[in-house]
Amino acid sequence: MTISQKTAWAQLGIFGALVISWVVLFSIKGTVFYWQDDAMKMTFYWFCAAAFAALVVMNVVATILKSRLNAVTDERDRSIFRKASLWATGTSYTVVVALLLVLAITYMDSGSETIPVYFPLFIVIVGGVTLTLTQAITALLLYGRKVNHAES
Amino acid sequence: MPRARINNSIRRLRFDHNEMTQEELASRVGCTRQTIIALEQGKYVPSIELAFKIARAFGVTLEEVFQYEE
Repeated sequence: MTISQKTAWAQLGIFGALVISWVVLFSIKGTVFYWQDDAMKMTFYWFCAAAFAALVVMNVVATILKSRLNAVTDERDRSIFRKASLWATGTSYTVVVALLLVLAITYMDSGSETIPVYFPLFIVIVGGVTLTLTQAITALLLYGRKVNHAES
Repeated sequence: MPRARINNSIRRLRFDHNEMTQEELASRVGCTRQTIIALEQGKYVPSIELAFKIARAFGVTLEEVFQYEE
């Protein structure tokens, strides 16, 4: 397993755990309006901060290893990473736009012209998590795929 | 349109060159052993640059290593 593959697995593990923690948190509280409860709001933000901090630490460690060891990544890793990043960017962009549209339509339908400030922040966090998870899943699928072309 | 398939003879060439290991070939051409494994299994089609490096590592022409099938 290459260092890039290990990084993708770690990324999937970190953000998979974050999504599971959200499900557990929301099912315990029984509401999606997490910001109405201060303790829940802080727990939610701490989980997110921990996941993104872990991602940064992991990438720093991976970068150090890649620079110190000889030929730990090559053109195949870079090609897979490039394709995975394209898929991840497209998916997260679509998710963010869809959530913004749903949010705007829902509030317009209810006759309100103001949106709680927590919603945009929540959408940004969901966008970031979608980006990271899609990148990791796509990279792992490409590593196991039947044929990868370097120049396509 | 069906995709063209590129086969290779890397495994045989390694065998013919004193059973060169995948690790050794990888270090000679500057890639990872996993890429050599993927190439031998037909799971990866390399760039032109890597293809030339592999051919030179064996001291043969490109077409002796890679075969293009339509």
